[in-house]
Amino acid sequence: MNASVTVQPARRAGGARARRLASSPALRLSGRRLLSAIPVLWGVTFLTFLTLNALPGDAASALLGINATPAEIRAFSIKLHLNEPLWVRYGHWLGGVVHGNLGSSLASPQTVASVLEQRLPVTLELVAYALVITFVVSIPLAVLCAHRPRGLTDRLCMVLSMCGISIAPYVLGLLLVLFFAVDIPIFPAIGYQSIGAGIAGNLKDLTLPAIVVALPLAAFYTRFLRADLLEQMQSEDYIVTARAKGLGPWRVLTQHALRNSFIGLLTVIGLNLATLIGSTVIVEQIFSLPGIGYELLQAISNRDVPVVEGIVLVFGAVVVLANLATDLLYGVLDPRIRHVRSRS
Amino acid sequence: MAGLLRDRGRRPAAAGTTADSAALASAVGLPEARTDSSPLLDVSDLHVTFHGRRGRVYAVQGISFSIGRGQTLAIIGESGSGKTVSALAVMGLLPDSAHVSGSIRFKGEQLVGRSEHDLRAYRGRNVAMVFQNPERSLNPTMRVGTQITEAVRCHLPLDREQAHERAVELLRMVRVPAPERRFHEYPHQLSGGMRQRVVIAIALACGPDVLIADEATTALDVTTQAQIMDLLLDLQSQTGTALVMISHDLGLAAAYAEDIIVMYAGQVVERAPAGELFGSVRMPYTQALLDAMPRIELEPHVLLPVVGGRPPDLSAIPLGCPFAPRCPGVQQDCREQPPRLAEHEPGRWWACWHPCGTGAPR
Amino acid sequence: MSVPAADILTTPVPAGPESEAAGRASRGWLRSAEITIPGAVLAALLFFCFIWPLVYPVPKPIGGSLLTTNLPLWSPGHILGTDTVGDDVMSRILYGGRVSFEVAAAVQLIGLVIGGLFGMLAAYRGGWLEAVLMRILDVFIAFPSLVLVLAISDSLGPSETHVIWALSAFSIPAFGRVARAATLRLRDQPFVVAARLSGSRAWRIQLLHLVPNMLPQLLTFSLLGAGITIILEGALDFLGYGIPPPGASWGNMIAAGQSFMSVYPRFVLVPSVFLLVSVLCLNLLGDGLRARWGVR
Repeated sequence: MNASVTVQPARRAGGARARRLASSPALRLSGRRLLSAIPVLWGVTFLTFLTLNALPGDAASALLGINATPAEIRAFSIKLHLNEPLWVRYGHWLGGVVHGNLGSSLASPQTVASVLEQRLPVTLELVAYALVITFVVSIPLAVLCAHRPRGLTDRLCMVLSMCGISIAPYVLGLLLVLFFAVDIPIFPAIGYQSIGAGIAGNLKDLTLPAIVVALPLAAFYTRFLRADLLEQMQSEDYIVTARAKGLGPWRVLTQHALRNSFIGLLTVIGLNLATLIGSTVIVEQIFSLPGIGYELLQAISNRDVPVVEGIVLVFGAVVVLANLATDLLYGVLDPRIRHVRSRS
Repeated sequence: MAGLLRDRGRRPAAAGTTADSAALASAVGLPEARTDSSPLLDVSDLHVTFHGRRGRVYAVQGISFSIGRGQTLAIIGESGSGKTVSALAVMGLLPDSAHVSGSIRFKGEQLVGRSEHDLRAYRGRNVAMVFQNPERSLNPTMRVGTQITEAVRCHLPLDREQAHERAVELLRMVRVPAPERRFHEYPHQLSGGMRQRVVIAIALACGPDVLIADEATTALDVTTQAQIMDLLLDLQSQTGTALVMISHDLGLAAAYAEDIIVMYAGQVVERAPAGELFGSVRMPYTQALLDAMPRIELEPHVLLPVVGGRPPDLSAIPLGCPFAPRCPGVQQDCREQPPRLAEHEPGRWWACWHPCGTGAPR
Repeated sequence: MSVPAADILTTPVPAGPESEAAGRASRGWLRSAEITIPGAVLAALLFFCFIWPLVYPVPKPIGGSLLTTNLPLWSPGHILGTDTVGDDVMSRILYGGRVSFEVAAAVQLIGLVIGGLFGMLAAYRGGWLEAVLMRILDVFIAFPSLVLVLAISDSLGPSETHVIWALSAFSIPAFGRVARAATLRLRDQPFVVAARLSGSRAWRIQLLHLVPNMLPQLLTFSLLGAGITIILEGALDFLGYGIPPPGASWGNMIAAGQSFMSVYPRFVLVPSVFLLVSVLCLNLLGDGLRARWGVR
């Protein structure tokens, strides 16, 4: 036997790691992704610009109202530079963006940037809160279901989750408002309190909206995770190995199967993100939250093109960044992707 | 056929005379191997029936075998013969749809009908299993070392550092080079042969008395196969672990096993010590298996005699001998009466009305 | 919208693997119950929405008498009561249902034909065509189609046709993705390769080999997509960008009922129940067929 082999110390040196990271495929991947994101973002904003300007109706008439005379509308249009041709306007805007200037709102004296600054945090907090609820609910639930498939908990979960993905968010929102705010006044129906004014109030205000956003997501993720876990438990060899070691079913589920499920879950989350953003529009409307979604509705009806463009840009950037984060997280979760070098 | 047997020089039942193997034996927590003739694992009249959507499948129909300390038993059969199902039954790893009856005794204790909780204490600790596909047997998202320490800490009261040391020791024992470094690596960073070594290390983590190797080398290339088999035998001689090797490869059994059981359609059809089996095969099925093996003595471009037909559908217990439809020497009584497995000669069992070699009908 | 929209339908809504434990014929029955019951309910809904008003004198959904406002459920002649302007709720539900199902069917069809066709063609040909398609799909996915939807509805005026085209902005890229993924998977299968090697024309291969194999997946996707479309259409109506009142649609009924929720919750609850049941049946049917046909 190898009595003469010396034991190598484990190599956890930070230096080696840092070196690896610098030339890592991860960074190169990020760079490539960001680069390819630019044409996508451009396409998105261009498409929006085209749409908004191609459709009948313009900001001037929208803002001045029905009773404005044509002369007033014309004057206002000139003031808003709306008389210039499409390309010129887009060019102006694009040039501004490249320099970090998103322009000014047509409907109010604010800059687009300041509008975003006010509204974005609200939506972000809502989304974050909803995601927390989603994961806290769906992951344990999926594990519970997968532990005893076709048992009572499992069947109940499947029924409830099926309803969860079938229910319309506006219906859910209204029902929640009905129960909680009217019949059992715990959570307020409308209104929003910023964090500055008190975090407890802030969270209370966001709870119902966050639940409305979270419920269909949680239902879907629960079903997805459950199916993934069950598939692993029934057909993967490493699960059999784990059981052959003498491990109990919970350990096998959580330590072996769940780890591998996260990778699939990540894909699903990445695909979901764009719709998540969209869902905030309805929710903010119902609960009167001063977020980006609410602002979007206003801006569209006002034909406030710069604001809409700004919001669209933000949405697009979020989607791109989310995809990037997803790809990077794959590397973290799946060691096979991490190691590009060949097996020894 | 004698040429098939390698001169293995049968290992002494009492091992552990060198300091090395003693250290290793204690590394896996076993006392030094000593001569012990009582069977560790005694399977008697084992039946496994699957209850599925389309009816029942009689996967195993009354098999018996036993194995003692330090012994090597080979269970040979083609796919669907019930060999893996038997192994899983011993481990208690069959799904709920499987009904197990009969007796499986480990050191005298009955395992059939025990609760999952009891079986878990025994799985991995007393009997361990190595599976066929090293690529798929290890969790791809978990480090190799962690998978070993997990097996260790499952049954043994060791803390993290002790488990770590033991894992490295196990890696060294299965001849993985640079074990300290390998400990932190992931399965995909290891070659197939090395992964199988890791799987063996996991199996041996708690010093089991019986190791079941289910087609453990089938997925490996021939050179690696030989290395792994040699490793298994060396480990066995040093730790006294009983080895049950399950395979479809008679050649492998010939080279490494002491006793051989041939299974067909869920039943044992022949059983003999390795040395005697190949000298005088009795069961036509075994003969057919032997004939179908490619051998160096054969003329080039000669057609291998293969056994025509397919194994029977196990959703119905066949009338008569299960091999009858394919047997070259089949007679009328073969189709009507199932032959019983009996010890027709000392140490030699077969289930055939018209076995080869004797010529005379029973 | 909050409901997992078209994008994520490209990953399968889990149908649950079977356990081997139950071995009885009743399992076969149970499995088809997962399909027949939602299917039957759906068929009943479609019947009542489209055919029943043609046969039975259902009160008009618009133009009710102000003398009969706010009648409760089970009133004679108005089985679900009347609303605040005297219109019969049941008939508004039925006509609103027409809108929902028409929009859902149209949107799925458009997505299937346009998106599915382009997805399949581009993925089959590969090369630059596919690359361009992927970029375009990416843009649509990053693009909040919502904006498009809202903008179109806002400027062109709310109407059912506009809603259909607006929602197609979601379904076309979604079907494109599914068709593309399915084509890529099928393209390298032995039977397709064999057909290519034997010299079949591309369109023949696509028609005879690819389409039949993609059909189960596309069909179940359509069913699930129809459910989402109904919800989205309702959302548009709810926000005021869809069918304008006094026209009936489930979404605008819910919106109108909002103000009276504490007094007459049924104005919100009744259309909500129909919405839920319709979408639930579509989801169950899609799921059940998916399990039955073994679609991923």
